[in-house]
Amino acid sequence: MKCEEIGELLPDYLQEGLQGEKKNIVERHLANCAECSEVAGLWKKLALIPEEEPSAEGRARFEAMLQAYQTGRGDEGARRGSPDRTSLWSGWRWLRSPAGAVAWSVALVALGVFLGMQAGSTKTNLQDLAAMHTELTNMRQMVALSMLQQQSASQRLEGVTWTRREEQLDPQVLAALMRTLRYDPSVDVRLAALDALSRHAGQPQVKRTVVDALQEQQSPLVQVALIDQLVEWRDADAAAGIEKLRQEPHLNPTVRQRADWAISKLN
Amino acid sequence: MQSETDEELMLQVRDGAGETLGVLFDRYHAPLFHFYTKLTGDRTLSEDLVQEVFLRILRHRQTFRDGTPFRAWIYQIARNARIDHFRKNRPQVPFEPEMAPAVLPADPAQQRQESELLHRALMELPEEKRELLVLCRFQELPYEEVARLVGCGVATVKVRIHRALQELREAFHQLQAAPANRNAQRELRPRRMGHEV
Repeated sequence: MKCEEIGELLPDYLQEGLQGEKKNIVERHLANCAECSEVAGLWKKLALIPEEEPSAEGRARFEAMLQAYQTGRGDEGARRGSPDRTSLWSGWRWLRSPAGAVAWSVALVALGVFLGMQAGSTKTNLQDLAAMHTELTNMRQMVALSMLQQQSASQRLEGVTWTRREEQLDPQVLAALMRTLRYDPSVDVRLAALDALSRHAGQPQVKRTVVDALQEQQSPLVQVALIDQLVEWRDADAAAGIEKLRQEPHLNPTVRQRADWAISKLN
Repeated sequence: MQSETDEELMLQVRDGAGETLGVLFDRYHAPLFHFYTKLTGDRTLSEDLVQEVFLRILRHRQTFRDGTPFRAWIYQIARNARIDHFRKNRPQVPFEPEMAPAVLPADPAQQRQESELLHRALMELPEEKRELLVLCRFQELPYEEVARLVGCGVATVKVRIHRALQELREAFHQLQAAPANRNAQRELRPRRMGHEV
């Protein structure tokens, strides 16, 4: 067998994935081909490269980061009473909520569009379709808006997810998303809102909101996420806001370190 | 807690038990550190990237879905963290000899000298090939898992592994043939690819 053909079998042989005759073929070839044998030998020798071990400091840094995170969540948990472990999909209760009702409406409109297209397939009215598309978009945005106002954090989280389905957001939804970023009691929802808003950096008020949020947020996790986002946008105006945050006397050390890094990037 | 699967632990983290992440940290921080040191040759950067991975897990824990294999998920995060790092931080840190595992030059064992040379040859490979070798050989991920991770077919991964090994052999030979190059280590830099992975 030629080297090229062996080349197809060799990776499996090296991960000990070959049995029987195929394995014998490869081994016979390796015994007679110095080049392939050397390639196979290098695979084995790679294991001899010594592994470096991570320092103990890594664990300490992780603990500090986790502590910062737990602190942020602790404040939130105290307000809420107990951790919200309810998954949106773990039950069907949400379908009976107002948001669920709106979601059902969207599904029905979508079904209507589909059936309409099937029934009138010979002559599709493009204007009607465009109108229905607009209606669907509006409905989806209504769902998002409605869900952003729910009591349950997981429903608000789902509301944020709904906003991600639209390229262009209605100003009302965008405003709700920005409110969520600044004032939602759940760290997770605020983080998700930031991710969703990152897609709308073209809107000047979005960047302004992110800079403002930096001064308001207490959760180190959110603060780090905001700083990262501003660096990602390379928003030079944000440097002053980050610098102001860095001056906070009780700032979490991890956040301070991130702020230092961000300022060096933006200046 | 130690006997629980990674996925069970991550679901607990997702649902608010942040402290459970400590168990996952214990399980994964060394493999991730090895992954990064083999790729970047930079110890400090590797430590930072491992921290970044766990920070991202906390930030994006809500995106972890029941049924997702945790190992694939964390390595995807690890790859993205590295790509983002190099996107944001140019110029990149050059590979310096002290970044390589410590090898005593006076050590008579040929094996150790050989492995030093092999490590340098590995750092000479284009990053895409180096990453594949690191994932398949050092992290011991099966080809199927690596294929999902890098977004290509299993057959493609195998072809690339074979090519990477051939290229490694050539680089290894060149280093062996030119011992002077081993002294000019400061010129050695890990080769990088674009961010198309």
